[in-house]
Amino acid sequence: MSEAALQPTGAGPLAGVEERQAGAAISPRRLMWLRFRRHRLALASGAFLLVLYVLAAFCEFVAPYGTTTRNDDAVNAPPMRVHFFDADGRFHARPFVYAYRMEVNPDTWMREYTEDTGRPFPIRFFARGEPYEMWNLFRMDRHLFTTDAGAYIHLFGTDPLGRDMFSRVLYGGRISLSIGIVGVVLTIVLGILLGGIAGYLGGLADRVVNKAIEVLQCLPSLPLWMALSAALPVHWSPLLVYFGITIILSLFGWTALARQVRGRFLALREEEFVMAARLIGADTPRVIRKHMLPSFSSHIIATATLAVPAMILGETALSFLGIGLRPPVVSWGVLMFQAQNPLVIELTPWQMFPGLFVVLTVMAFNLLGDGLRDAADPYSTGGMK
Amino acid sequence: MHDDTLLEVAGLSKFFDGVPAVEDVSFDVRRSETLGIVGESGSGKTTLARCVLRAIDPDAGVVRFRSTDGWVELQDLSPKELIPLRREMQMIFQDPFASLNPRMTVREILEEPLVIHRVGNRDERLETVLEMLDHVQLEHDSLTRYPHAFSGGQRQRIGIARALILRPNLVVCDESVSALDVSVQAQIINLLEDLQRDLGLTYLFVAHDLSVVQHICDRVLVMHRGRVVESGAVDELFANPREDYTRLLLSAIPSPDPDVPLRPLDRRSLGL
Amino acid sequence: MDAVLSIRDLAVEFKTDTGVTRALVDVGFEVPRGQVTAIVGESGSGKSVTANCIMRLIQPPGRIVGGTIDFVPQGAPPFEIVSLAKRDPRLLELHGGLISMVFQEPMTALSPVYTVGNQVAEAILCHRDVSRRQAWRESAEMFERVGLDDIERRMHMYPFEFSGGMRQRVVIAMALVCHPEVLICDEPTTALDVTIQAEILTLIKDLQRELGNSVIFITHDLGVVAQIADQVVVMYQGRVLEIGTVRQVLKDPAHPYTRGLLAAIPGLAPKGQPLATIASVVRDADIETPHPLRRLADGRRVSLPADG
Repeated sequence: MSEAALQPTGAGPLAGVEERQAGAAISPRRLMWLRFRRHRLALASGAFLLVLYVLAAFCEFVAPYGTTTRNDDAVNAPPMRVHFFDADGRFHARPFVYAYRMEVNPDTWMREYTEDTGRPFPIRFFARGEPYEMWNLFRMDRHLFTTDAGAYIHLFGTDPLGRDMFSRVLYGGRISLSIGIVGVVLTIVLGILLGGIAGYLGGLADRVVNKAIEVLQCLPSLPLWMALSAALPVHWSPLLVYFGITIILSLFGWTALARQVRGRFLALREEEFVMAARLIGADTPRVIRKHMLPSFSSHIIATATLAVPAMILGETALSFLGIGLRPPVVSWGVLMFQAQNPLVIELTPWQMFPGLFVVLTVMAFNLLGDGLRDAADPYSTGGMK
Repeated sequence: MHDDTLLEVAGLSKFFDGVPAVEDVSFDVRRSETLGIVGESGSGKTTLARCVLRAIDPDAGVVRFRSTDGWVELQDLSPKELIPLRREMQMIFQDPFASLNPRMTVREILEEPLVIHRVGNRDERLETVLEMLDHVQLEHDSLTRYPHAFSGGQRQRIGIARALILRPNLVVCDESVSALDVSVQAQIINLLEDLQRDLGLTYLFVAHDLSVVQHICDRVLVMHRGRVVESGAVDELFANPREDYTRLLLSAIPSPDPDVPLRPLDRRSLGL
Repeated sequence: MDAVLSIRDLAVEFKTDTGVTRALVDVGFEVPRGQVTAIVGESGSGKSVTANCIMRLIQPPGRIVGGTIDFVPQGAPPFEIVSLAKRDPRLLELHGGLISMVFQEPMTALSPVYTVGNQVAEAILCHRDVSRRQAWRESAEMFERVGLDDIERRMHMYPFEFSGGMRQRVVIAMALVCHPEVLICDEPTTALDVTIQAEILTLIKDLQRELGNSVIFITHDLGVVAQIADQVVVMYQGRVLEIGTVRQVLKDPAHPYTRGLLAAIPGLAPKGQPLATIASVVRDADIETPHPLRRLADGRRVSLPADG
C-alpha cells in the first residue's frame, strides 16, 4: 500500500479534495488566475479597461483630429451616425457619414443640424489625414479612420468651438487614465514604504506613522486638495501641473494602503514560515523580499486597482472645479468643466460624453478590483490551518 | 559539564509584558541525545525552545552552544553574528501548513538555506537537495511542486528536509508530530529517529504528548508554569515520578486498553 | 438492539471544480440507546461528515445523495432525518432539543457578547415554554452538574473570561440543558491539555450514566475511545471498516487497518525500535477496495472479503 493513500490531509474532507486536484505543479499565480476567471464581470471590465488604455495610449493615431482643430461648419453639432445603406437603400461596403445641413431655428435662433443625404463622406481607414506628432516623437499623418480632405467626421459631435468631441475624449482619457495609474503607483510606494516601516519595525516608527495616518484621514480632502492645487504656481507648464496634481492626490491616498500593509506585515511577522526563514539565516531584507512581500503582493494589486477610481475621480473633481488641470490641457475633468452649463444637458447632451467615460471607467475598475481581491488569496478555501 | 555537551542553558528567563513565560531554567544537552521538554499549554516549553535558538530573545540567562569553532554564548550575539550559526542549529515546526511558504516550490524552499549560506554552485545545490529528498523519502518529482500539493505528512517531511539540509548538529523539534494523524505520526517519528542515527543529530524535542516523548526521548524536562519541575532519564522518570505535577500528567493519559480505566489525579487536592 | 439512531447506506458528495468527491460511501451503523458510540478515524475518514449528516448540517458544495437516518426518540414519534424538508418543524426540534452537539473549539459555540448564563438559559427558552426565572434556575443546576463552582458569579461572566477546559464545560452544559436524547461530541477534547481532557472525558462519561442519554463521540485518539466508548465504529476514507464493542475492536481488531491504528500508538512500542506504521501492519492487505460489512461469529461487523 502506498504512503500517499494513507496520508490524510488534516483539514477535513474538502482539504483532501483540493490536494488531490492540485497534484500537478500548479503555481499560486495559476491558482489565482483560475479563480479570477470565474468572475465574468471582472474579466469583462479588465478587457474594457485594456481597450480603453490602448486607445488612450495611441490617441493621436486613433483620433481623426487634434484637440484644437476647429470645424467652422459644425459648432455644437450632434454625433454623426455611421451608415452602410444610403438614402435609396443601396448597400455600401465602405461605411460613410452624411454631412451636416445646418439651419437656424427662426424661433429660438439656435443652430439645428440634420443629415445632408446628398453629401456622403466615405470613411477611410489607415488613410492620411491631419498631421500629428506621435508621442511628441514621430511626425505622422496616418489615422485609424478619417475622411477625405474637405469632408469631416464627428462621431461624438462637436463642442461650442467646433472641435471634435471624439478626439477630445480620447486625448482627455490619456491624461485622466494615466493620472489614475501614476497616482496609484506613487500611493503604493508611499503606502508600502510607510506601512512596511510601521509594521516591521513597530514601536516608535509604528506610532508616528499611525498618528500621521489618523491625522490625514481626519482632514476633509476636497478643501485640502483645493488649497494645495491653488498653491501650484500659475506659470507652471501643463506637464508640471499634471505631476503636481498627481502628487497632491497620492499624498492623501496612501493612508488606506499603508494601514493594510502594516496590518499584513504585523500578521505575517508572526507566521511560522517567516520565522522559519529567519532561522535558516535569512536577513531582514531577504525575509521581506522573498517571504513577506510575495504573500501580499496580490492583495496590494487588488487594493491598488480599487484605488485608481478615487484618483481619476479626484482629478475629475479638481478639474471640474477649475482648479486642477486647465485648458489647453485636455482631461475628462477639463472637458466636464466646459460642459458645466445646465443648458448643455438640454441642448447639447453629447458634450457630456467625458462624464459617461468617467462613470464607465470607475465602474470597471471597481468590478476588476473586486474580482482581483476575491482571487488574491488562492488558499482561502484550502484550509491553511 | 560532560565532554560531549552540545548545549548548556543556565538561568534562562523570558517575560512577556512583565509576566514570566520561562523562569530560571537550566539544563544541558549532550551530543546525539534526545532531550524532551514536556508540559501543558502555557508551561513555557515552546518559549524556552525558541529562546534557545534565539528565535526570540531571552531576557536573562546564558545559552552556551558548542559550535564547530568552539563555545559561543548565543544570548549576546547580534542578528548578523547569529547567521553563520544557523547552519548548526535548526528548528522543525509544528504546523506543516503554516511553516512552509505557500508561494515557493519545494526546490526553492530546500535551496534557500544553501543559497543564503553560499553552499556550492547551482548543480551542487540541486544534488544536495535531491539527496535530502531521498533522506526524507520524498519523490524527486516533488521539486517543482508547491506545498499545497502535498498532504500533511509530506509537508512535514519537506519541513524536516529544510531543517536538515545545512547538516545542523542541534535540531529543535517544536511539537513536530502533534498536528499529524496517528499513522503519519508514526512514520514521521520513525523518520526522525532514522535521521538522528544516520546524521548524528541532537534533538531538543518539545511535546505535550507523553507517549511520544517516552518513545523518542532519552531524557526529559517536565515544565509547569515556566519552571522545570522535574527532569531525568525518561523511563525512570515516567516509572517513578517524584513530583505531584508529573504524577498528575501521567495519570491523565488515557490508555488504549479499555481494561485500564482512566483515574486522573485531582489537580485541586494536589494543590496545583 | 434498541437503537436510537439507525444509519443506512448514507452517501455524501462534495462538488468541486474538477469533479465530485465522495465523502461518505454507504455508511451504516446503529447507535444503541443509552450507550456511548465512538466513531474513530483519521482526517478525511468522514467521521465529522457523518455527525453533520445526523444534524443535517451538510452545506453546499456538499450534498447527501443517498441513505436514511432513522431516529427513534423516546419523547417523540420516530422520524427519518435525511428526508426532512428544510422548514420541517421537526428539524428545529432536532437541533439542540432532541440531539445536540459539542464541537472541538468551544469558542465557536459560544457568543462572545453574552454572558454564559444568558446563553445557557436561552437554549432552554428556545425549546421549552418556561419562565426566564425557571430557565435561569435550571441553567444553574446544569452548571453545577458539569462541575463549575461559584456558579452565580460564573454565570454572569463572558466566555473569554474562562479557560479552555471551563469553556468546554459551559458548552457541555448548554448541550445538555434541554435533556437531548443524543449528544454528539466532535473531538471535544482535541484542543485541550491532557489533564483537562481527562477531566472532560470523566465528566461526559459520568453525565451520560446519570442522564441515560446516548452519546456519539468522534475522535482520532484510540486512548480516548478506550476510556469512553461502549461501541466503536472505525472509519477510513468515507467508509466503515469495523463495528464492534470497545473490547472487541481494541483488544482483538479484525480489520488490518484497525490493527495498524493501534500499533502506531507510540506508548505501546518497545523503546529504540521503530514504531509500527499502518502501512507496515497492513502490508499487502487491500484496504482501499470497499467490501460490504460482514457479521462475524462474535457479533461484530467488519469490511473484509468473505474468504478473509
